[in-house]
Amino acid sequence: MMHCTMDDLGALQAGEASVWARRHITTCAICQQELEKLYQRAAQLKALPALRPPRDRWPAVQAVLRAERSRRRRTWSAWSGSLALAATIAAVMLVRPTGEGSNLHAELSQVKQQSATLEDSLKQFDVERSVLSGQEAAVMAALEDRISLLDGTLAQQVEGAHQADAELVRLWQERVGLMRELVKARATRARYVGL
Amino acid sequence: MALAVPDVLVAQAQAGDEAALEALFRAFEVPVYNLVRRMLRRPEDAEDVLQETFLEVVRNIKQYRGEGHLWGWVRKIASTKALMRIRRDQIRATEELDDEPGKPGIHVGANIDLERAFEHLSETSRAVVWLHDVEGYTHEEIAEQMGKSVSFSKSQLARAHVRLRRMLDEGATT
Repeated sequence: MMHCTMDDLGALQAGEASVWARRHITTCAICQQELEKLYQRAAQLKALPALRPPRDRWPAVQAVLRAERSRRRRTWSAWSGSLALAATIAAVMLVRPTGEGSNLHAELSQVKQQSATLEDSLKQFDVERSVLSGQEAAVMAALEDRISLLDGTLAQQVEGAHQADAELVRLWQERVGLMRELVKARATRARYVGL
Repeated sequence: MALAVPDVLVAQAQAGDEAALEALFRAFEVPVYNLVRRMLRRPEDAEDVLQETFLEVVRNIKQYRGEGHLWGWVRKIASTKALMRIRRDQIRATEELDDEPGKPGIHVGANIDLERAFEHLSETSRAVVWLHDVEGYTHEEIAEQMGKSVSFSKSQLARAHVRLRRMLDEGATT
């Protein structure tokens, strides 16, 4: 008498068996027993005790994480350097004796000064301190991401110096707005952690 | 296995909070290690995969959008990395144990239990059996993760069970 192969039993387990296997299993005690053993093996494997790692691997993960963050901060500083260059070039571009150019120049100087003041304000808060809540931390991370993106755009504006001057001012204004929000968020957190 | 973690913890981890990231590590280190240790033969490989898995988790936690359980997301990273290691090792050396055709049965002695018999399977077979029978992956999912066909996954599972049955029967009769 022909019996089910292990493929047949697996297919029966999955509900994908052939017509022959489905009929056979109803009448063959040997194959019924094999199918039952298959179920039992799966149940026994599920019931095995959990194996625990012999060593704590978190310190290694943490070390890599910190190294990557440190690298990102250095990159961010490099962006800031590009930004300073962008500011200088933009200032040169906007030095015009009269009219709209003169207004834009004044506006740009003002907004750059605001940005620099806010950067100084940020330095007084320790960015490595743990946050109070996930929501606060998420807000700050999102602001930092947006500022980084904006800085990238500003650096590109320098490369494409033909871009409209008004657009440059608008980007700086947007940066100042984001910086204000970030300073506010960090100041709030610092108050709670008693910095 | 359902491993629930509070949403607020996930949000803190996504914001880069190191304490929250460590809490996630603590919540998942044993299930991840158990999963990959069952799939891989060498404990040191399982430890490496545990570390690689969490490095990927902390780097990409912001991309986790909350669809499905976080454990499902972490588990997929872990199993994919374990399968990659199996593939890499297969390139370095042909698989031994049950993957060698015509090789005589391993002498396992009396009273072999399922856990020991399972350990004698090749890594590919262990991976397929564990993912299918314990973790509940479908053959389609296993095939996708392994970069193989569905029929490969099915035949590996069938071969592994034939092998397990033989080892257990031999153990019971010696």
